[in-house]
Amino acid sequence: MSGLWGVLQEHFPELLAGFLVTIRLVAIAFVIAMVVGAVVAALRISPSKWLQRIGGVYVETFRNIPLLVLLFISFAGLRRAGVPITPWIAGTASLGLYTAAYVAEALRSGAFAVGKGQIDAALSLGFSYASALRRIVIPQAFRSVIPTIGSLVIAMIRNSAIVGVSLLALPDLLKEARIIQSRTFETGEVFFWAAIGYLVLTLTATVAFRLLERRFEVRR
Amino acid sequence: MEESKGPNGPLVELSGVTKSFGDNVVLNEIDLRIGRGEAVVVAGPSGSGKSTMLRCINGLEPIDSGSIRFGGRAIEGIGREIYGIRAQIGMVFQQFNLFPHMTVIDNITLAPVRVQGTSVEEARRRGRELLERVGIPDKEDDVPADLSGGQQQRVAIARALAVDPKLMLFDEPTSALDPEMIREVLDVMRDLARDGMTMIVVTHEMGFAREVCDRLIFIDEGVIVEDAPPEEFFKATGSARAKEFVDKIIHH
Ligand SMILES: Nc1ncnc2c1ncn2[C@@H]1O[C@H](COP(=O)(O)OP(=O)(O)OP(=O)(O)O)[C@@H](O)[C@H]1O
Ligand SMILES: [Mg+2]
Repeated sequence: MSGLWGVLQEHFPELLAGFLVTIRLVAIAFVIAMVVGAVVAALRISPSKWLQRIGGVYVETFRNIPLLVLLFISFAGLRRAGVPITPWIAGTASLGLYTAAYVAEALRSGAFAVGKGQIDAALSLGFSYASALRRIVIPQAFRSVIPTIGSLVIAMIRNSAIVGVSLLALPDLLKEARIIQSRTFETGEVFFWAAIGYLVLTLTATVAFRLLERRFEVRR
Repeated sequence: MEESKGPNGPLVELSGVTKSFGDNVVLNEIDLRIGRGEAVVVAGPSGSGKSTMLRCINGLEPIDSGSIRFGGRAIEGIGREIYGIRAQIGMVFQQFNLFPHMTVIDNITLAPVRVQGTSVEEARRRGRELLERVGIPDKEDDVPADLSGGQQQRVAIARALAVDPKLMLFDEPTSALDPEMIREVLDVMRDLARDGMTMIVVTHEMGFAREVCDRLIFIDEGVIVEDAPPEEFFKATGSARAKEFVDKIIHH
């Protein structure tokens, strides 16, 4: 059996399994990217020169190393150095930490747009500088950068395919598609369905972020 | 016991306070004492150091020399304890500085709940009382952007009052408002003063000064050049500069 529908019917279980792995990969990496991104952004806007510098080094490092190289370092490199790292950890951490650098930069610019008056108001109510950042500045920064984060997540979904083709034995959507392709040589059909899978994810993310944006809009 | 430390001593005491930004001396050896329950209006030309003085009093701006005491206690070099002092000093800004991502009631209850550990229910109950007091009882679930400037500034006053401050600082609270909204904010401030709140108000509203304050202070180039009850001030301003300035803002 062949043709687009034939390929889908025949290989649906593998494609679905790969699709679900990609969702899990992206979801975990998303959480890592947001948490680490927020922490790095907080370092970047802290009053301490040293903390700012540490945040800066993080951003420059992860923005300037290609994701594929990060994957090699985190898996093969650490393995060779005797660290028992699993493909899952290497894949989610690389994708998450890489995206975190961009999230941090987005949050930082969002935080600068928040304005000194907000910090003055929080400090004058008795908040420490750190709590003023945490309770007032970062939440507003998050809201104002929802559209930017949306684009980063879409890029992350696309970048997740790199994880599958790297040396990691992670059976994500692209990896499954390649396995099927190498067995059946139905190249066009298989990758068509893989593309549809990625499209479903990116479109869902687009809609979700539009809704978030509307829900959390901050009017000044 | 030092006079300034007793319960009857001044609530705020500045002695020889000097503050510069680079080469720009903004406050020059300021001496000022403000007693409990006093309402003081501060006026002066743009750039004379009025905002800076307020910001130094609650430690938002560090001073170079001299000392500032609040309730008899020096506020410089006390590390994290400054947060406790600031919670006793309410501040109201020209631009309101409400938190735009929170509702009115959340703006008001944030500090009582997060800084002082008041329960949410208690803080909300108090918050509603305060909203009533500033004349906007039905706005608690709105966000600041849905309110007029005058309403926003009254929410800002309620927010500052919610932590039960002993002193209120106002930095040109009506300068960003349309004329028809100035009155509603000044009325709230007048009631506060009548209820015995100690307050320092930077404003050019000389009608308010004449009607409400106990003392009018005129600052010029970081120096206090006049400090007198308003009647005296308007009768005969000692400093020519102050007279010229007051004439200008009264007759514009
Ligand atoms: N953070 C700062 N850094 C550098 N210079 C400052 C800073 N804040 C204030 N200044 C300067 O200090 C001087 C006094 O400013 P301040 O804001 O206290 O004046 P003001 O009396 O409140 O004036 P206005 O009526 O315009 O509000 C001005 O020359 C101002 O430029
Ligand atoms: Mg000012």
